[in-house]
Amino acid sequence: MTDIVRENAVPPAAAKRGATPTQRMLQIAFARSDFRIGLIGFGLLVGLAIFLPLVSSIDPVKIAYSSKLLPPFPAEGWKWPYLLGTDQLGRDVLMRCLVGLRYSLLIGVTTVVLMFIVGCSLGLYAGFRGGWADAVIMRLTDAQLSIPMIILAITILGVSRPTVPAIILVLGLSGWPLYARVARSVALGERNRGYVLGERVLGASDLRIMLLFVAPVVLPPIAFVAVLDIARMMIFESILGFLGLGVQPPTPTFGNVIADARKYLLNAWWIATMPGLFMLVSLTCLNLMGSALERARNAVLRGEA
Amino acid sequence: MFVLSFLLRRLLQGSLIILLVTFIIFTLLRVVPGDPARLIVGGMAPDEVVAMKAKELGLDRPIPVQFVSYLGTLATGDLGTSFVRPKSGASLGGAAFDDQTREERAKVLDLILATLPMTLQLAMVALVIALLVAVPLGTAGGLYPGRWPDKLALALGSLCVSTPNFWLGIVLTLFLSVKLKFLPAIGYRGFSYTILPAIVLAVEIVPFILRTLTVSVAQVMREEFIQLAPIRGLSRSRTIFSHALGNSAIPLINLLGVQLGMLLGGVLVIEFIFDYPGLGLLTINAVLQRDFPLIQGIAIFISVMFVAINILVDLIAMTIDPRLEY
Repeated sequence: MTDIVRENAVPPAAAKRGATPTQRMLQIAFARSDFRIGLIGFGLLVGLAIFLPLVSSIDPVKIAYSSKLLPPFPAEGWKWPYLLGTDQLGRDVLMRCLVGLRYSLLIGVTTVVLMFIVGCSLGLYAGFRGGWADAVIMRLTDAQLSIPMIILAITILGVSRPTVPAIILVLGLSGWPLYARVARSVALGERNRGYVLGERVLGASDLRIMLLFVAPVVLPPIAFVAVLDIARMMIFESILGFLGLGVQPPTPTFGNVIADARKYLLNAWWIATMPGLFMLVSLTCLNLMGSALERARNAVLRGEA
Repeated sequence: MFVLSFLLRRLLQGSLIILLVTFIIFTLLRVVPGDPARLIVGGMAPDEVVAMKAKELGLDRPIPVQFVSYLGTLATGDLGTSFVRPKSGASLGGAAFDDQTREERAKVLDLILATLPMTLQLAMVALVIALLVAVPLGTAGGLYPGRWPDKLALALGSLCVSTPNFWLGIVLTLFLSVKLKFLPAIGYRGFSYTILPAIVLAVEIVPFILRTLTVSVAQVMREEFIQLAPIRGLSRSRTIFSHALGNSAIPLINLLGVQLGMLLGGVLVIEFIFDYPGLGLLTINAVLQRDFPLIQGIAIFISVMFVAINILVDLIAMTIDPRLEY
């Protein structure tokens, strides 16, 4: 009885035969307005960050005292260069924000990809093999929850030279256990499913089954939710930058620009405020997308679509 | 009996974790560049003085030997002595090696215990603010999924989680403290200095409570025993308050254990911005000054706290829901 009701309740578009859970998840997400707002906003900002520094003649690190401390949104109307004002050394604030967003994205995305690969491989292996491998890997993730990773991270970066690969490694080190846990719990559920047993009967090795058949089913929903983690890592990157443990000046990142601008807060509020607002807007867009995807995944998991 | 065996097992696991942390941080600080002996006696000291200090501290021995002897002193509850901080508190890292005014160095444990209450105070005030905002909204969001309380909770959560804490701290200081003279911000001279940092920390906690609570309340409300409550003649408010909320609290308590690490990160940065004299500021200064014994001590101390809190969290969850097993 409930089955019939459920089947009738599914809108025709989502009920297409053969739609994978991932496709259904995307369909639900796209139907939400918060997802679309996030996608458009984030797409615009990222597009700007990638292309504007390529075509513009403004150098984000070149010092020009003649144009220092210009306020944002000039009164004489919208003027293209210096739309968001200039800093204490005459550098364009907007351009520095865009370059900051580039570094933030580069570090955030690479870190999450790294955590995803390491965490999911370990988690899949643990869940699929069970036994000793499972016990060891899961105890490792438990241990990591009790290790103050942030102290390790700032210690490592504080005593060595913070380069982009070092930052990515340190951040990635802290996040993999969550992925391992999720991947493991899903792999546990798949282990005794018909298609896996069938492959076993056909003589496929564990590795082959995991990579070719289990991974494509369980990983995509986790990957979409990783969008939320990209935003988290971007914030971490900016915190490191703020403490002077991130990418070093003169390369502008959100963190080091804001730390630098603190001294000028009273007479030039925009140098510190604008990069923060810029971050706030781009991260909100990213988080809207991420949480819409997460809700869509939960709906699919509950079998509502 | 079950609780005893649970405690024993978790305490054993915890000790292993703490040993692991100690080993990692100890090795890390020994392999990085920078000579602690030179750091203590000052940059201008002759090489013989540096070598003497190294011998005195046992820094000339192989790392495994140093580690074992460190564990030995650790077992007696001694976390060692700071490299640069004298007992009076002022940092003297740069003073000359033969300066007679240099005092005896402070004990690491004393430094930690002196700053811990400040951080706990900050964390408590922040938690209260966050719960006051997030529990009503999160519960409402879970009771009316897809309607405006749910949407408001989602929007507020997304906004809060996207706000860089250091930036918010700076902007709030500028507007509330400098321009409006509403609240004091920098340093600490009384309780009112806790409020602004606590608000910034609360902004960081709110989204986690909101997200977990909305999901778990919505989930509990779909369960059979809640769906059947009207048939038993229970009013809706009775159902919500005495049956749904308690069950929804379990994921929230578990979350606390999982998110401790993130919260610690927030505390570090926020104390740094507001120059708030807590454990976080002590940690950052220790890293910036390369005060190795202090960094080591703080890392070990905090992982002990993490282990303890995680055990406590599981105990509380078991008390609320006796079906849970760990």
